[in-house]
Amino acid sequence: MKKHLKTKILKEAFVLIITTSFIFADQVDMNGAVNSNFGNSYGFYDFSENILDLNIFYNDLQGWIQYEYSNPPDIGFGNNDIRKFRLEYSTGDFILKLGDLYEFWGRGLLLNQFDDQVTNFDNGTRGLLIEYDGGSFSASHMNGNSSIWNMGADTRTPEYNNIHSMMANRLEYNRGLIALGLTQLRSNEEHDVNFGPSVLVNHDLKGAYATWSGGNADLFVEYVDKVSTEKVTMFGTIPNDTLLKGHGYYQNFNFYFGNWGISTEYKRYAFDKAYGDITSDDYGNQIEYQQMPTLGKEHNSTLLGRLTHNYNFNDERGAQVELNGSLFGLSVTAQYAHLSRNETWQSVGSFEWTDKAIDGFLPSSDISALPYWENYQEVSGYAFSDKLYFKLGRGSNKEILKTIRYFEGTQVDISSVDTSLTWVYDTLVWNDETYFDSTEVELYDTNYTSPFNVESKLWQQSKAFTIPLEVNYIFDNGYTVGLGFQYQEREKVNRSKGNATTFNAGDSSWTMYDPDDYSNTYDETVSQLANPDGTVKTQYNRLIYLSISKAPKWSFTITHDMTNAYEASSPYDPYYNPLEALISGDLKYFTGKRNNIEPPSWIQNRWVSVEFAYNITSSQRLSIMYGSIQGGLFCSNGVCRLIPPFNDGVKISYSASF
Amino acid sequence: MKPIFRFTFYFFFIINLIFAESADIGNTIPDLKIRLLDGTTTTIHELVDDGPLMIDFWATWCVPCKKLMRYLDQYHQDYSSDGFKVLMINTDTPRSMGKVKSYVRAQDYKFYIGMDPNKTISKKLNGMVMPTMILVDKGGEVKWRHQGYISGEEIEVNNQIKQLLENNLEETFED
Repeated sequence: MKKHLKTKILKEAFVLIITTSFIFADQVDMNGAVNSNFGNSYGFYDFSENILDLNIFYNDLQGWIQYEYSNPPDIGFGNNDIRKFRLEYSTGDFILKLGDLYEFWGRGLLLNQFDDQVTNFDNGTRGLLIEYDGGSFSASHMNGNSSIWNMGADTRTPEYNNIHSMMANRLEYNRGLIALGLTQLRSNEEHDVNFGPSVLVNHDLKGAYATWSGGNADLFVEYVDKVSTEKVTMFGTIPNDTLLKGHGYYQNFNFYFGNWGISTEYKRYAFDKAYGDITSDDYGNQIEYQQMPTLGKEHNSTLLGRLTHNYNFNDERGAQVELNGSLFGLSVTAQYAHLSRNETWQSVGSFEWTDKAIDGFLPSSDISALPYWENYQEVSGYAFSDKLYFKLGRGSNKEILKTIRYFEGTQVDISSVDTSLTWVYDTLVWNDETYFDSTEVELYDTNYTSPFNVESKLWQQSKAFTIPLEVNYIFDNGYTVGLGFQYQEREKVNRSKGNATTFNAGDSSWTMYDPDDYSNTYDETVSQLANPDGTVKTQYNRLIYLSISKAPKWSFTITHDMTNAYEASSPYDPYYNPLEALISGDLKYFTGKRNNIEPPSWIQNRWVSVEFAYNITSSQRLSIMYGSIQGGLFCSNGVCRLIPPFNDGVKISYSASF
Repeated sequence: MKPIFRFTFYFFFIINLIFAESADIGNTIPDLKIRLLDGTTTTIHELVDDGPLMIDFWATWCVPCKKLMRYLDQYHQDYSSDGFKVLMINTDTPRSMGKVKSYVRAQDYKFYIGMDPNKTISKKLNGMVMPTMILVDKGGEVKWRHQGYISGEEIEVNNQIKQLLENNLEETFED
């Protein structure tokens, strides 16, 4: 109740400031932005969201207010209220901020706050920040509360709410080419779980970072240590604390020679460990404030963007190298990354796993360490007096998505049991007399075979190969024609191999594939991709777009996205639009004889859309999209969102700054 | 309070529709502190102390931004004798900010690069749409603002810069 009252007072203060700013308009500078998005589709994927940002500057005072009117938004909860606000006051070397804070320290191993509306991830803090910046020495203190929503089963409405009461400090010292920083963060969290009351967890993070900038090289390193204490009250009212400890390390070393630059990155995030995925119940040690470098390529190609690896901030190590340069007037980029967990995992039962730390510092290629590889090369440039722009890329990814069972070791069988009869002698002393007794019993003596090798592995892997191509040509009359083509081959399989199949919990042993001959092995690959005709080995994705534009006013783009297979069993999808019908030659669509009961099968394989964007003024842009867009995984800043398909609908976007 | 908020929203929405072209123009740009790629710190007002400044927002994954950058670098060098500068504010997140310097060095760009990984500056200057260009006159007055880039728009950008420099030159002669 108190919290709501505080928020209400702050919001009212903002309305007062806005009103005052109009009265004293001469002394006040303002700028603002409006973003409006509207979507309506045949598949009931509708949204309407409007966001207004206002910045006010008055001498040493700055104010920011964000108003949202959405019902419902594309993702998140409907809102008709002030969403964000902040007041800043700076005088001399001091800065005071009050309201919604978004801070970024080091490279984010301890604190990296942002509000990403595309993935609906907002880890900002509503509170107070005091900063001193005296040139070579600076210090910051912040405290407040965060209410962080995470997605669950629903693709549009968040499900889990983690509430943090946090306090953080930073000291930084700059001297010439070198900067050193010390950071600290404490948070008391109410962590939302699937069932039952929230779990209370205390987090304590301490970190340090250093940078060095030289003429032809620069270096950045950051280390964070974290301890979390979970309060368990299952034993009456007596608290029973459990501890999780972990650390994270990140390093970025760049060096340059002429028009070439090599960027190397290394990470080792070992805040927690898990052979599977982190879930809301099994949530790991890393918290939402820690948004760290992922060491993956940030792609701008649609098809490559759909292949994003699900980064694990709790348990992942890796290295990335990227080369950038110019050759014969062309821009060249080459990138390679290899990531894996910090441990290899062995399944020692149906549901039990044991881990072994990977030696050394580099990522592992062992399948049970869930390795991920990606490499990308790109060349781009201009020709014909800069009238032609082209970009050609080549990317490949390979990933072990999960292990379902993974055992490699030895086992022994019972070779025989000796049940022959034998005499057992016994003596008894009673009243100083010794009595002898003998009994004939069966001998149960178990004999074992020599240890033999057992291998039982089942895992899921995917690999893909992608070629993005883009060409633009500017004509003398100001028109530009652009053509883009992206081609992708993708496989996703369940692979099993070994000489044993499942684990038999009854006799605690692996069931051999061929009970008569243990040397017989199997190696099977089952594709996880299918279309209505059955299983498909390779998924072929093709995306083509054609655009025509006239600077500085308008652009028109038609996009055709096509595939031949899906991951899950194909859903019955009756939505198709006239553009898809036209491209596929389905003339019945236009004569009123469209078959709504059994639409042609190709409609599930393609998504066609057109978009018209118009610059009303130099700072106002309107875009209208009509058609269908394929859904899929979208990731930004290490946060992923599964976007549902948009079928046969209209999207209108308006953005303006003033 | 809700009706007041709703009224405020629609009020600004309509104001924006009517006056969007000029609402921001003529205002003094706030004196924000910028951390540059080389590790040093400056402010916007320091950069406009001796000549006009073009501010543009970009990221390494933004293709239109990269297409525009080569022209802005050319203008930065062509008009440097008139005190004109270009400040490219990079909004790469920690995911890709380690590659910014490598990319800039490879392209041999000469303009100023500011770092804004959590978009603090972008939000204050309304540069969330990329690329967004803000042309600021010597002294800090906002002269022109533009969102997005379509191939061929560099001509309009060049015209805006030239016009501002010519106006400044005329004023100097009049003085």
